[in-house]
Amino acid sequence: MLKISPKFVNAVINAEKLEDLFPLLQNAIELEHATIPPYLTALFSFKPNTETAIRSVIHSIVIEEMLHMSIAANILNALGGEPHISNPNFVPDYPTHLPMGISKGLIVGIEKYSPDLVKNVFMEIEEPEDPLDLSKSFKANALPTFRTIGEFYQAIQQKIEEIAPEILPGDPKRQVTSNFFDSNLLYPIHTKEDAINAINIIIEQGEGTSTSPVDEEGEIAHYYRFQELYLRKKLVIDPNAPHGYSYSGPAIPFDANNVQPMFPNTKSHMLPEGSEERRQVDIFNNSYSDLLNGLHRTFNGEPDYINNTIGVMFDLRLTCQKLAETPFPGKEGYTIGPTYEFITTA
Amino acid sequence: MSYLNVPRLTFSGDFISDVSTVNNDTQHYNNSTFQSKYQKPKTEIAANGWWNPEGGATFGFQDCHVKQIIGEDGTSTSDPLLDDIIGQIVCGAEGRNSGKMVDLDPQQQMVSQLWGVTFRILTAKNELLLEGKIDPTGFRNLQMRQQTGGKVNGQPFGGTWTSVIEDVVWGDLAHSSPFLMALKSKTQENKLSINLNAFGYYYNHAKDGRFSLGRILGGLGPWFTNEPKLFAPARRLYGIIGDAPNDNPKTQQPIFFGASNFLFDKKNARLSIDLGSSFPISDSMGNISLNTNLVLAVSKKSITFSASDSINLVTGNDVLFIGEVEYEKGADWINTTSAILDFNNLSNDVVSALEDNQLLLLGRASINNMYSIIAREAIDGIVIRADNFVQRLDTNQTNEVRLYAYQFGVPLQNKNITITQEPPTAVSPKKDNQPPICDIPGNNYPAAGLTFDTTIVTDNNGLAILKLTGNSINCPREYLDGQIYTLDYQLTNVPIDAASGSVMPDNFIAIHLRDHYEIPNTPVWSDIKPTMIQFANLYPIMSKFFIDFSDPDALIAKKDLLIFAFDRDIHDPIYMPVTRDLSENKRLTILKWLNNPIIDEQIVLSTEKKVVDANLAEELLQAKATPLTDYQKQLKDAVRAKNGSNFSSPEIKNLFEF
Repeated sequence: MLKISPKFVNAVINAEKLEDLFPLLQNAIELEHATIPPYLTALFSFKPNTETAIRSVIHSIVIEEMLHMSIAANILNALGGEPHISNPNFVPDYPTHLPMGISKGLIVGIEKYSPDLVKNVFMEIEEPEDPLDLSKSFKANALPTFRTIGEFYQAIQQKIEEIAPEILPGDPKRQVTSNFFDSNLLYPIHTKEDAINAINIIIEQGEGTSTSPVDEEGEIAHYYRFQELYLRKKLVIDPNAPHGYSYSGPAIPFDANNVQPMFPNTKSHMLPEGSEERRQVDIFNNSYSDLLNGLHRTFNGEPDYINNTIGVMFDLRLTCQKLAETPFPGKEGYTIGPTYEFITTA
Repeated sequence: MSYLNVPRLTFSGDFISDVSTVNNDTQHYNNSTFQSKYQKPKTEIAANGWWNPEGGATFGFQDCHVKQIIGEDGTSTSDPLLDDIIGQIVCGAEGRNSGKMVDLDPQQQMVSQLWGVTFRILTAKNELLLEGKIDPTGFRNLQMRQQTGGKVNGQPFGGTWTSVIEDVVWGDLAHSSPFLMALKSKTQENKLSINLNAFGYYYNHAKDGRFSLGRILGGLGPWFTNEPKLFAPARRLYGIIGDAPNDNPKTQQPIFFGASNFLFDKKNARLSIDLGSSFPISDSMGNISLNTNLVLAVSKKSITFSASDSINLVTGNDVLFIGEVEYEKGADWINTTSAILDFNNLSNDVVSALEDNQLLLLGRASINNMYSIIAREAIDGIVIRADNFVQRLDTNQTNEVRLYAYQFGVPLQNKNITITQEPPTAVSPKKDNQPPICDIPGNNYPAAGLTFDTTIVTDNNGLAILKLTGNSINCPREYLDGQIYTLDYQLTNVPIDAASGSVMPDNFIAIHLRDHYEIPNTPVWSDIKPTMIQFANLYPIMSKFFIDFSDPDALIAKKDLLIFAFDRDIHDPIYMPVTRDLSENKRLTILKWLNNPIIDEQIVLSTEKKVVDANLAEELLQAKATPLTDYQKQLKDAVRAKNGSNFSSPEIKNLFEF
């Protein structure tokens, strides 16, 4: 899992009242969100109707990041806080460190799909505390000067256990659920136990358990799913392997020609003012900002608003895919990447 | 009375309309003759899928701002120091799709409707001042706007959407605007009246990057109970310089100032006129280069000229002058005022004359005391219009269409209105080696598809209700669902004013009657396959980037999302189908299949049913022998003109200079 600055874990440990956890859960929401644009970009960088197998892996992971973001927001609401989702500070200025990241750590950008991106960025984001060595090419490495996001979540769990009342104080009407998520995964958080179980979902989906690459539902954790893409082999049950799984399943084909040549970390200012391309990028930014506005409403007392945001997500996707096949003016051989810039007003 | 009443605000800016265009071509609905090139953009030599095959039907406001307010006393200001509302942002929904713009049918593209559009006014800090939903409305008053033709943007016409904003929510900060508080206290039923005059729309990928954008001149005012919702109960001024619509479109001199709304407020001795729908502009951005001195006057005698290229003159003695139209060249004036002008403190003579005499828009002629009549009010001041004039109708469904009649702005009570159904039009047979690739169905058959009263009577508010019932029809258009019908209406024994409707007729009701369809007990793939293949063909943006509707396994893989979209309320912008063209039973069948998807083995080559009904065959034969009516000719030409074919729009440099 992502290495983060120890000060955040310490802040959780030192918390004395629920209010002290609010900014830390806000950080968690921001972190979960910050992984979504890079994953979505890779997902939508493929030419239409190609690389279905790879897309379905990334899709499954990005959907779970959305789930994690929702869970973190539900917990913050359950504790009595208010998620802040629609403001410029919520959005990372890619390429950048992820929220809570350490100063010399991983830099995450907005780039087209490549196996190197998966290995150098996505697997780094999702790396467990002690990765299981399911392939010969990866070694466990523990660096004591860092804490991990897993430890951060565990600390929050412990702190909630320690200081929260059995019935959490937040307004139950602010809890968000959706028909698009299994109600065992996204459920209203009313009690301490609900919160603790929900955090387990985040941790396990991200990194598996300490003895297996799958979580308690038998689902392969993100790190190992990304590793499938890098090794281009499915992870399958293998009784002969040390942890019961090995990358000995069917090959996952990949043809680099199926990826659109998106310019990395495209920014709106790179496109000529007044050009049709610039307008498309502005439309993308507007949709993205508007999506965050809609999610802000959703997690601030209008849980049914989630349904309205689905259409914006859809538009965002289509705009991204159209951009991905639009030549980048002045950058020979490149197409335009999604920009993920927050616009204050429509 | 409508957005022209006070207090009123104007706003202007851009709109985006990313309409899809594969579905603009009737032959593209025929699954058996569809070709993949119809999903490609047009080229120099091939129409293909027209100018925006990958459109997604999005409609939204962009970069729109409040420009001016007009207070209860009829005076205006655009100074933000005088009211906080000036300069604020006009925009669409927050956190949801901005809305959709859709045609009723490929055979009725002249009433494009806005659906699911939210209207908001925000401060620069994103704080809400006002929010509401625009009642779905189709455009009207299509008219020539651009003196330079459509060379740059491709579309020289403008059109008007009028509607009400419903369920208005006033933001906390609305209290800081005296204007908004005055509007709130004056309007009724928590609705507002909104008018959007649109022009300068871009079909072309022009250098200025404005593809799929257009300009909007907006007006927002109070709405009153018992008024129509989807047009302004205003008096109407019709342009009469130019060729009548049914002349040869290739050589036609267009009519400018085609149709304008105005309101005469007797009590306050005020005339308010909206030239934002009609003012000639030199380009797609709304720049004005007109040189004519324009004057408004009341005629002392009845003026009945129709549109013609010869100039009709009046002498100063035959009119009472109201005032100059003080327009300014460039784009600032029109974008600030929305070209809505208020003439306050009218003289007693003018007030008295305006009660039952026609308003005229005059150009000052070079001859002494003579004026050219650029536009005149409707003959005898009679305006009759259907409010909800775009109708989607299923078998055995009865809809109520509201028609209103006015004379000189006053409701016409206890008057008969005659409703006439347009006669059937003939099938256009397919051709070899050129379009159409398949037969193009005609419209308005079977004639027995609709049941309605041919005479209805107005009440005290000038309102007459037309009850319209859809009867069972069975694929009269074969590969297109249902049939398009047109009803015309007029005051009984009062001819339609020939000057009304400079491009499209004013007085018609457009109806899509859907095919009779029973929901199968257990729908299988072949039940919905023809519809889904049609979707896949017509909306390449979906099949390319999201889901291949023609593949049942792909539908099953995304069934949760599809059930969600097909189960939305029709007013929700996410509603599927976006075009709102399925009968309720077909939509429910798709939902039923998605909930229990069964892929049957049956291979359906073509489910398009051949017309076997003997009566229908007879009607079709008759249609072939019957010439088009004036409405039908006008519609045909207007569609061609709108779509930029068989139509010239030459640059007109010296408009009204004689």
